[in-house]
Parts: sequence; structure tokens; C-alpha cells
Amino acid sequence: MAGLSETKGPVRRKKLKTNTGAGYAFLAPALLFYSIFFIYPVIFSFIVSTKRWNMLVPLSRARNVGFSEYSYLLRDQMFLGVFRNTLVYALATVSLTIVVALVLAVLINNAKLSVLWRFIYFAPVVTPQVAIGTIWGYLYRPNNGLFNSILRLFGIKPIYWLTDPNVALWSIIITAIWAGIGGSMLIITAGLKNIPQDYYDAAKIDGAGPFRQFFHITVPLLSPTLLFLTATGFIGAWQVFDLPFTMGRNAPARSVMTVSWYVYETAFQSLRMGRASAGAFLLFCVIFGFTLFILWLFRRGGIKGYE
Amino acid sequence: MKRSVALLAVVLCVLLSFSALAKTKLIFAVHWSDYQVEGVKDENGNVKVKGLRQYVEEYQKLNPDVEIEIQSVPFDEYLKRILISHTAGVISDIYVLYSLWGVQLVDSGILDQVPKDIADKVRASFVKAAVDGATIDKAIWGVPVEVANYALVYNKKLLREAGFNEPPKTWDELIAMAPKLTKRNPDGTVAQYGFAFLAGWDSAVVHPFLALLYSNGGKPFKDDFTECLLTSKEAIEALEAELKLFKNGATDPAASVWTFPTGKVAMMIMAPWYETALKLGFKDEYEATVGVAPIPYLKKPATIGYTWFIAVDSASKNKKAAWDFIRWMTLQDAGGFTRMGELMAKNIGSIPPNKQDIAFFKAELNDLYTSVFVKELENTYQEPNVAQGQEIKTILMREIVEAWNGRKTAEQALSDAKKQIDKILEEFYK
Amino acid sequence: MNRKKVIRILLEIIRYVIIIFGAFWMILPFFWLFSASLMSPQELMSDVPKWLPEKPQWNNYLQVLKRIPILTYYKNSLIVAGSVTLLVLLTSSMAGFAFAKLRFLGRKILFSFVLSTMMFPVFIFLIPVYYLMKLFGWLNTYLSLIVPFAVSGYGIFLMRQFILTIPDELLDCARLDGAKEFKIYTWIILPLIKPALATLAILTFIGQWNSFLWPLIVTSTAQRLMTLPVGISRLSLAFSTVETQHLILTALVYQVIPMVVVFLYLQRYYIRGFVLSGFGNL
Repeated sequence: MAGLSETKGPVRRKKLKTNTGAGYAFLAPALLFYSIFFIYPVIFSFIVSTKRWNMLVPLSRARNVGFSEYSYLLRDQMFLGVFRNTLVYALATVSLTIVVALVLAVLINNAKLSVLWRFIYFAPVVTPQVAIGTIWGYLYRPNNGLFNSILRLFGIKPIYWLTDPNVALWSIIITAIWAGIGGSMLIITAGLKNIPQDYYDAAKIDGAGPFRQFFHITVPLLSPTLLFLTATGFIGAWQVFDLPFTMGRNAPARSVMTVSWYVYETAFQSLRMGRASAGAFLLFCVIFGFTLFILWLFRRGGIKGYE
Repeated sequence: MKRSVALLAVVLCVLLSFSALAKTKLIFAVHWSDYQVEGVKDENGNVKVKGLRQYVEEYQKLNPDVEIEIQSVPFDEYLKRILISHTAGVISDIYVLYSLWGVQLVDSGILDQVPKDIADKVRASFVKAAVDGATIDKAIWGVPVEVANYALVYNKKLLREAGFNEPPKTWDELIAMAPKLTKRNPDGTVAQYGFAFLAGWDSAVVHPFLALLYSNGGKPFKDDFTECLLTSKEAIEALEAELKLFKNGATDPAASVWTFPTGKVAMMIMAPWYETALKLGFKDEYEATVGVAPIPYLKKPATIGYTWFIAVDSASKNKKAAWDFIRWMTLQDAGGFTRMGELMAKNIGSIPPNKQDIAFFKAELNDLYTSVFVKELENTYQEPNVAQGQEIKTILMREIVEAWNGRKTAEQALSDAKKQIDKILEEFYK
Repeated sequence: MNRKKVIRILLEIIRYVIIIFGAFWMILPFFWLFSASLMSPQELMSDVPKWLPEKPQWNNYLQVLKRIPILTYYKNSLIVAGSVTLLVLLTSSMAGFAFAKLRFLGRKILFSFVLSTMMFPVFIFLIPVYYLMKLFGWLNTYLSLIVPFAVSGYGIFLMRQFILTIPDELLDCARLDGAKEFKIYTWIILPLIKPALATLAILTFIGQWNSFLWPLIVTSTAQRLMTLPVGISRLSLAFSTVETQHLILTALVYQVIPMVVVFLYLQRYYIRGFVLSGFGNL
């Protein structure tokens, strides 16, 4: 089946000719775009990362400092710490979001009122930040928030969800998972719609129950989708900014700050654009390496979807 | 006949194009909200309170060769916007700057020199705190337009319930009073805090601490900014004074000043911009409930202030026109007051830093709330205009919060802050 | 027989219990937004969020209309978000098709390149792209709001993954019949990935609709181009937005509604894909 393997019989061989012309023709707009809006900014930022620049003097007058900003960052406890935070955030958020989204998407797919459920589960994606911040801020409030009130019923001491350095990052992760389920569910749903009903019918005839169907039909056929969600999930999670920035302002920065937040603050509060650019490049290297690792893992696990 | 008509037409065209060329365009970048820029209008669209737009239109009528475009960006994004546009050479002519931003701009040569007559007038007509705010490296770089400071805001009713008819005058009195104003629920959670600290951003945490530092006879930096003095005896005492409120149960890190309007906090250190929230929260009970007093002092009365000033970009092509407008708006007498002072007092609701305006706008400034802040201007120390001011304040904020949470002692927190801050000072002040 | 039926019914009940329990938590802040938009400033100041207004302040909606030019913002946001969505759908499906079904030299490397474009934090691009906008003279036009987002690595990746699931046999048949690649793209690929296109459309539209920082920077010199989020920010005050909080929440409802409409409208494309009977287990 397409996506699972590419059958190559003698008849096929003849058809596997390259269509380079068509390939590049279809890629042309994207390539043109990237040469202007990606390559130039990246080169620009790399140059900036070798200078001390506060964005107010012209770049040509900025002092050249070579790679000293890179070495500063690699020796800065704070910067290394925010990498740790971001790694924890990425691992927890991506894995749990995809698992929960997968289960829920499957449950909802053929349920009654599926469009209604799909909308409700998607609501967090369209809910403005201020509403999310208000409600979750209330849920997490130490004195009279909902979570601590429930804990009190069981005689458990109040947890300082957003101010305790040991807990704050996890509180943000929980909210992030809540916020991310909807988008992942939407993509999984699209993937589910691509799986022909034939397979499920055949499996039912063979006596397979819902769980067998899930693990032997649904998951394998969703593997391109799942790979997509995992890869883009991590790429996005490594760059997370909004949620930690708004929810983590009352916790010690070393326990909730993410790399993007650090870069943002370095650039626009400390006006050290060179250091911020260096931080961005270091982040890029980590994301690049991490993504390669994830793809390698997928291939090891026998999951196709990346060629 | 036809040729002379044609000639006339050509001459007219040339003259017209010259007059179009002669129109000077000024871009005025502000961070004010819609009502503050467009004015407050009633249902029929008549202007009830003038906004910046009305003053600009007035000026354009008096000076038909000048056109002023107002560009407004929210306060949180203002500096970002200046930085990003500037790199591409897209500048505004006139800015309203928070003084710490001004330091970066001055150091990079972005601001235009202030004409001598304006600088002299600023020194003569404005309150000291504001003049200090507009002073960077010993020179005045703009005209102050807004000054703010901090005071003790307390709930008169809650105080009376606990048997106090007067707010605390000294910090020791505050430390004694506050725990008696803290009430707990049977399950141990706090129903009412005796005191709450402003928190959430750098100025919120650092400013009250600086007030205590000055009140204790100390200061955060050497006058030439070559060293940070936060490990001095005065500084450690000032932070420990704050920590005493945490230790005796009067407050804790979960206390929030935003619950004051619902009666959950008895006392807090607050700024003038909170007035509307208090009026909205207490409604008819406002006058009977809200009290304002100077910050309880350690050794001498002191409070901290911050300033906004208006300045001109050094790359502006219309510097003279810009300063002319600024003169008209902020310094020229419009009938016993200045126009900028009127905008501040009547529309934006903050304190105009011009002494004449402070005396003139009694109705707005002499009320229950703002009057105390105005009176305290004489004890106000302007926050130091140090390079990398926001970076330094963020470092200090984080250390203070560690101390609040009992994770560091006052001495440890301040010495950690000093280490980082000294490194930054070294970069900029040799 | 009976036991199996009971288990099945039990599982169904558990299924709906899970769905409904989850739905409650998902909808909570969304519901609060609508409820809060009808509250007075005082009610919003309460320590604990109130769930229902005491007296619905329908007037808030009128006030917002009067205070800020919502219709202009709608127009601008629609032009920007709509254009970007169409461009992204087009470029992503084209590039996704190339990466999934066309063979050419450098395919793997170029795809890795596309992936890597997603790996840089967005702040890096603010300054150089702004400079480009000035250079091209686009600063006071919609182009500066649209073109920098016309191509999305995320979209290309998504399209590629979905197009991969289309059997090669289908395409090869068409090629045997002499169809050119563009015809295959238009008549075979696009119709088969409707759910994916709808998904990408929804996500792209929402991303653009809610975008704040870049439109703010760009429209600061061209205020007539302001999009909805930027326009709404004009209601907020430097400190303590309590005065206008109720209006901001109402304005946010104005912002949210079109996204809901787009989402619900595009649900029609979430239909079961082609039936593969006849292709069985190749």
C-alpha cells in the first residue's frame, strides 16, 4: 500500500524516471521565496551574531566580536538552564499532546455529533491568550483556585502552581498540552478520513475488536501524519515563547524560561542583538540535530513516512 | 492670449508644487490609547476631553505648512518598534520616551541636542524629579511630559476594623501593623492580606525597593555608575525591611495587589495610574475606603519616581519644526497652563511635571488619591538613568523575588545581583 | 452474545463520558470569553472569575463598534489572512507534490532545507525582512503583510505527508495516458487531499488572523492597514487596563467569530477520502 512501501516490480522500473523539470517547476515559487525571505535573513543574522549591536547604531558601525557571544552563551548558566527547561517542555508536551490527541480523535471520529466535538476540542486554538491566561490563572491560584480547592478536599496542602520553581514549568506544560490537543486532533482527523473503511470492515469480519483495529490499522496508516506531528511538534516546542512568557512571569526565571524567551529578552530588553542572534543559531543547531534524531528513531522503529 | 494663459498655468503649477513641497511633515510616535490620542467624545461626536489629535489639529491650523502624523503603538511594543524600524532607516521625528529607553538612545547618538532655550526652561519650570529624569550624562535630552511616583495606598475601613485610625508613618510601624491586618480562613488560606507587594515586571518589584533604599540613606549606584552599591549596609537593611513582612506573616508571595479593590488587601505601595481601577472597584464606597499616605520611611521620607520625556530624532529632516511644535505643546503658556499638561491631567490622568501645571490643574490633581502623590514629588528620587537600565532592573527583580520566597537571604540576593550588575556597568562605564 | 453486547455498550458509555468530560475543560475559557464580554468592568475585577454576568451588557458590543473602526480592521485582516491562506495552499501543495511524487536530483537535500526553515525563531527575521520591505517599497501596502508569509515549510511538510498516502499506481495510470504533471496535480492530487487542504487552510488562516507583532511593526507607519489584533490593542492602556478590559474582551469576541465561521465552513471537507476497493493489498 502506498505509504507503507513502494512496490518495485519489473513493470515499475520503467516508470521510475526522473522528472527533474517538473520537480523544480513545482518547487520554483517556494525556492524563490526562500532565497529572498530565508537565506538573506539567515546570513544577515549570522553576521549580526559576530558583532555587538544594539540595533540603534548602524550595523556597519557595530563592533566586531567574532564568536565571543557564542562562547559567552555556552558558558552562561542561565542559558544552559533554559535549554534544559525547553527540553523538558518539548519532551513532555509533544509526547502527551500527540497521544491524547490520537485517542480523542479516534474516539470522536465516528461518534454522534462529531462536528460539534471537533469544534469544542478545537476551541482552545481559537481562544485568545487573555482568556486562556485568566481561566488557567484562576485554576492555578494558590489561595482559592479550583485545583487547590480540590486538593484541600483531600487534605493535601496547597501547591504553588505558578510560583514554585519545581512546579511552575509543569503547570505551563499542562496548559500547553490542553492548548495543543485541538490542532493535533484536526490533523489526525484529516489523516483518519484518508483510511479506507474497507480495512476496518475486513478486520471486523476477521473478528478483530476495536483495540486490535486501532493498533494494527489506524496507527500504522497514520504514520505519515504521526511523523509530521512529532517532527513539527518538537520543532515548535523548542521555539515556544508565548505561553511560558505570559504564565511564567511570577516564577523564578531559571525554572520556566525557554530559549526563545531568553533570546527575546536579550534582544529587546537588553538590546544585545548580537548575543540574541547567536542564541538563535545555537537553538537552530539543537533543533536540527534533535529532528535528525527523531527521524532516525522513527526509521529504527520501522515507521515509514519519511521515505 | 492662449500662450499667456498657458504660462500662467505653468507658473501656478510650479507655485503649487512648491507649496506642497514646503509642507513639513512630522511623525510623532506615542504609546497612548485611542481615547488619549483621539479624545473622549460624547454620543454626538463632540469632543468632551481633548486628545492629542485636537492639539495637533490646532497647531496645524496655526502653522498650515506643517503636517503632523500621529503613530501610536502600545507601550509594551514601543521600544521594539523604534528599534526595528530604525534599523531600516524608518524613523519618527518626535518620541515620547521612558527615561531608561532614553539612555540607550542617547548613548547611540539617536537623539537630537535640545535647543538651549528649551533646556533652560526645563530646568526652571519642572519639578526636580522630572528634570533628573530627562537628564542623561549630565545633559538634558528632552522635555519631561509625565512623572510618576509611589505612595502607600491603604483600605481605611480595614484599618479601622483592626483598630487603626492612622496609616503607619515609619516602616517599623508598618511591620507592627500589617500582621494584625491579616486574616486567615479556618482552613489556613488567607482571606485578607495585611500587605501586598506589587509584582510581575521589573519596575513593579524594583521601584518600591529603591524607595526604601533611598529612604534608608543609600543609593543603588555610585554617581558615576562605575559600581553598584547594592551590598551596602543600607541596601541590605532595606531589603531585609521588606522581608520582615514576609517573615511575620503579613504577606506572602501569593498576595496580589490586584485584589485590593475587592477588599482582600489592607495596604500596598502603588502608583498614580491605579486610580481608575480603585474607583471602579469600590464605586460609591471609594471615598470612604481608599486612603493614600507617603511610603512609611526607614530613616527619612523618600519615594521613587520615573519619568517620560519628549525628544527629537537626530536623523530627523525637520528638527527645527519638531522643536517648534514641542515648544508650543509643552512649554508655551496657553492661559496659565501648558497644553501637554492639560492632556496629561485631563485626559491621560497622570501628573504633569511642570510646576505651573501642577498648580493650575487643582481639580484633577487635588483629589483624594493623586494629591498625595503630587505632594510627595518633593521627596521623590528619580530612578537612575543608567545604561542597560532594563537589563539591570530585571536582574535585580529576579534576585529580590528569590529573597521574598525565602530561597536567598537579603545579603545573598543582593550580592548575586551586584556581581551581575557590576559586569554590565564595566561594559559601559570604564 | 449477551456479554459481548454489554461490554460494547459499556465501552460506548465510557467513550462518551471521556469525550464529554474533555469537552467541558476544552470549552471553559472559550465560554468564559463570551460570558465576560457581557460583563461590566467591576465584575471583571472580581478575584475569582465570574461565570455569568449579572446583567448582560449588550451595550459593550455597540461601544466597541463606536470606539474603534472594527469594519476596517475586519477588511484588512480578511485581505491579509485570506491572501496568505490561498498562497500557502497553493505553494504548499505544489511543493508537497514535488517532494512526495516527483523524482528529481537533490530532492532529499531540498526537503531537509525546507524543514530547516522552520527551525529558526521568528525574531531573527523581524529586522532583515523589515529592511527588505523598505527596500522593495512595500511598507505602506498590504504586500508587506502578505508576501513574507506566502510560503510555509509547515504547509509543505503537511502536504507532502498526505500526498505520500496517494497510491503511485493512480498517478502512473494517468502518466501512461499521457497526462502532464500539472494535470495530475490539479485533477488527481488536489481532490484527494481535501481534508488536508482544509486543515492547512484553517491553521494558516487562524495563524494569520491572530498574528500581532509583525503587523504591529509594519502598520505603525501605515495605520490604515491595521489588522484586528493590532487595532484591538489600541484599547489597552499602559498600566492597569481595568478601564477597558470589558471592551477588550468584547473586541476579542469580534475577533474570534470569523475563525469559528471559517472552521465550521471547512468542516464539509472532512469527508471520508476515496474508497480503495479494487486496489486491495497491492
